[in-house]
Amino acid sequence: MLRFGRGHRARATVLGVLIAFAAARAQEKEKAPAYVGSETCQACHEDLFNAFQKNPHHLVETDKKYNHTGQACESCHGPGGKHAESMNAADIRNPSKLKPGETDRLCLTCHLYQPTHVGRINNSHAKNQVSCVSCHAIHKNGPNGLVARRAVDINTQCAGCHADVWARFQRPYQHRLANATTMPEGAMSCVDCHNPHGSVYRNMQTVDANEPGCFKCHGDKRGPFTFEHPPMRLEGCTACHEPHGSANPRMLTRPQVMYVCLECHANLPGPVAPANGTLGVVPPAFHDTRQPRFQNCTLCHSKVHGSYVSPELLK
Amino acid sequence: MRLLIAIFLAAPLFAQQPASPGSEEVQAQTPAPAPAQPAAPAQAAQTAAPAAAASPAPSTEPWITGGMFFGYRGVTNVGGSFQEYRSVVDLGSGLKLFDLNFTIQDPKKKYFDRIDGWASGWGDDPYSTAHVNARKLGIYDFSFDYRNLAYFNAVPSFANPLAPAGFDEQSFDIRKHIMSVDLSLFSGKHISPYLAFDRNSDSGNGIEPWAQDANNSYPVPTLLRDSTNNYRAGVRFEYNRFHVTLEQGGTTYKDDDQAYDNTYQPGDRTTPVLGQTLFLSSLTQAYGIRGSSIYSKGLLTARPASWIDVYAQFLYSQPKSNVNFSEIAGGNFLNLASLLFYSGQVTIGTGAANQPHTTANAGFELRPFRRLRILESVMTDRAHDAASPLVAEELLLSPTTTAANVLTALNFTQYVNYNQQEVNAIFDVSHGMTARVGYRAVWGDAQVFAGSLSQTGLVVPGQLRRNIALAGFTYLPSQKLSVNLDFEGGGSDNIYFRTSLNNYYKGRARARYQATKTLSLQANFQILDNQNPAPDIRLDFRSQSTALTLYWTPEKPKWISVMAQYDRSTLRSDIDYLSLPFYVPAVSAYRDNANTGTSAVDITPPALKGAKLTMGGSFFISAGFYGAESRPTRYYQPLARLSLPIVKNVYWDTEWQYYGFGESFYLYEGFRTHIFTTGLRITR
Repeated sequence: MLRFGRGHRARATVLGVLIAFAAARAQEKEKAPAYVGSETCQACHEDLFNAFQKNPHHLVETDKKYNHTGQACESCHGPGGKHAESMNAADIRNPSKLKPGETDRLCLTCHLYQPTHVGRINNSHAKNQVSCVSCHAIHKNGPNGLVARRAVDINTQCAGCHADVWARFQRPYQHRLANATTMPEGAMSCVDCHNPHGSVYRNMQTVDANEPGCFKCHGDKRGPFTFEHPPMRLEGCTACHEPHGSANPRMLTRPQVMYVCLECHANLPGPVAPANGTLGVVPPAFHDTRQPRFQNCTLCHSKVHGSYVSPELLK
Repeated sequence: MRLLIAIFLAAPLFAQQPASPGSEEVQAQTPAPAPAQPAAPAQAAQTAAPAAAASPAPSTEPWITGGMFFGYRGVTNVGGSFQEYRSVVDLGSGLKLFDLNFTIQDPKKKYFDRIDGWASGWGDDPYSTAHVNARKLGIYDFSFDYRNLAYFNAVPSFANPLAPAGFDEQSFDIRKHIMSVDLSLFSGKHISPYLAFDRNSDSGNGIEPWAQDANNSYPVPTLLRDSTNNYRAGVRFEYNRFHVTLEQGGTTYKDDDQAYDNTYQPGDRTTPVLGQTLFLSSLTQAYGIRGSSIYSKGLLTARPASWIDVYAQFLYSQPKSNVNFSEIAGGNFLNLASLLFYSGQVTIGTGAANQPHTTANAGFELRPFRRLRILESVMTDRAHDAASPLVAEELLLSPTTTAANVLTALNFTQYVNYNQQEVNAIFDVSHGMTARVGYRAVWGDAQVFAGSLSQTGLVVPGQLRRNIALAGFTYLPSQKLSVNLDFEGGGSDNIYFRTSLNNYYKGRARARYQATKTLSLQANFQILDNQNPAPDIRLDFRSQSTALTLYWTPEKPKWISVMAQYDRSTLRSDIDYLSLPFYVPAVSAYRDNANTGTSAVDITPPALKGAKLTMGGSFFISAGFYGAESRPTRYYQPLARLSLPIVKNVYWDTEWQYYGFGESFYLYEGFRTHIFTTGLRITR
């Protein structure tokens, strides 16, 4: 009996807690602001409502998949009941005024898929509080939809924050970015090489399969070569090139090719063994670099990115 | 011809009914007829869906909008180096389609909601592009992108000015064709298949130096042809709490470069060797490289609870190459090892390379408290390589006598393993203030090909170990002001190369201030400092950049707006190296101190409605100092552009642009030219 009594009391206690919890939840639900539907929003925000009919997010209004049929406005702005009554802006959520992390989470409620989601966790935009709405104009329409799509528009948008990078593209040797001021006919945009949502590689590089996105255009540099040049795999193109722009031909990091090469290919003897052993330090033979024909190593070592037949990368 | 086709294709754009005023976006903001009475909340929720579904675009809106800009570009005689002009600018004269863009909307939304297209630079321009995007919401999204890029590169200062045969540097005059097609289908509620195809190809001519050991090299004309095709297909499974993407793809690659020459070539060497002059009299060289790869991808993202997001991704590819190479060369050559002169050589190369490459990463975002986020990620990247080259070389002492064959048959494996683990904690100090601290560990090992100069073996091992501290700070007190700081600093126990990041820090500061409703200012600062005090390296590297930007769009007067940007960047790099040929320790000192500016001033005279004058351009001036490796350069691109309305929706655009390029050390590379453009811009 005693055991039964204790069990009975225990069950009663658990049941009481559950009932109280359910009652509290029910009360909460009663108190929760009500959804009013997009047509109610239209009454005051008609310009936005009309424009929204052609907006990609209009799908939320009609597709049951998103669980907000007829409530597209409130899918982002939250229940609008209180706001509809008070007409007060403070009574409704404005994603552009939320903390960047909160704004992102709101967007990711639906956009929780590749490559957006992985990027938002990994990338430096998210870590530096650059939220989705910094680049995506949610109510905007037109050919660019929610975000710039033409190369010249994309580049202008990126340059709005990355002014120092933009300056690099004013150098004579650069990738031909479309540039509204000086080169509207340019063919490339920032997103050809960088995925603003993030990447498995550093600097938000785009990827081509699981190789850096550089090979998407420079397929002849991909290999695999039978005689590889290790910096290609270990440090990437930026070991020798400045892809944003340079005063040096072929966007090299140094004005003369031999310095690009000899800064690595130099096994200077030290008083003790090097603190951190490095690769490729064997100097390149007894070439007389005072002669012009030896100052540009790629004059002979033309397959510097990798060769199929020459261990010296000559052909 | 292509220009005519483009104009012909665009003609229907302007054969429609008279344009309605304003662009699509303006129309979108135009108030619509009086709104219906707001329904009761619950009722509204029930009725909204059908009402919205029956809300097509206003019927008065044109089904097609867009514009085009076509005309003539004239380039004055290029003063200075024409080769350098082509390597840097490469714009030519002639009739051009500068820009074309259109949007087609289907009011019935039967097959598509809208088709957007744009194109630029057609008419033998160096950068021709075309893009089409068609979509129907919830059904499909299709995009096609094509670019035809001219790549000309023949920089005089890279060539040997003493070469008897003239220009001897590897150079290119090729066209790059890059195309991508992408189709996503949203056929089901949760399952979305997609297809993608990319292709890039190079074709054209060039000069390839043909090297005969270290004795001499001979520039020979080359035919360059290679292409890569990428295929991908996948399925996205999208549910409320998780998403899975499965993707499979493949790549094919071919390289059929050829070189052929039957003229006498003295090569780069200007002095006889052992009393004989070296020369090349004939060369036939052919590459036949074939490559293929498979590629698999799996991605999982999930939100198992409101306080955690997780993801994991796996990528695998296995590119392979097969080599077929043949070469026959005739002339007078020298084998330095045996001091043997010979009259020709035949080289046959074959072999294969196989490079399985696995990448995996995983991570999560944890939100244990409302103000705190913890971001954790781990990544591993493993590229292994097995190569088995076989190269047979036979020297012809005379047309009928051969020396012993030189056979290089190798079989070696390489690998590069890279690992990274990173954790960041982001704390919202107050509504507009966020602080971040983190830690990143990077480690890896490699065994890579060291070339035939290696004194320790064909392949050599390397290690990478680095510990990095991370920090960031963001302050957004209001919509007017934002400040962002980002810092990363690390130390390395092992690095791969002498110039790799060792003991380094890099930082970035960015501030934006909306001073008034019409004036916006922005400042950027960036620094990278990398030190390697090892006695055999002594690397001292620092680069800095400071940029200031101003946007001014006054309300009074309304007819002017200004964008101006100035950037000051400095780079200092010193590193010990061995100066050849006597192996004397020396310092490679590089300096690059640059001033860069861009501006655009738009003037829209009130007296001339629709007219617009734009003035601006850019300048770049860099300097170093005598004794240091640097390339002091001046590059100016000023422009003025005038747009005048002729009739409704038709404008006459005229532009002048100047390109001026000069170098202090390589005076012969300078060039200058004026470019005039005039044409009609039509909008609808």
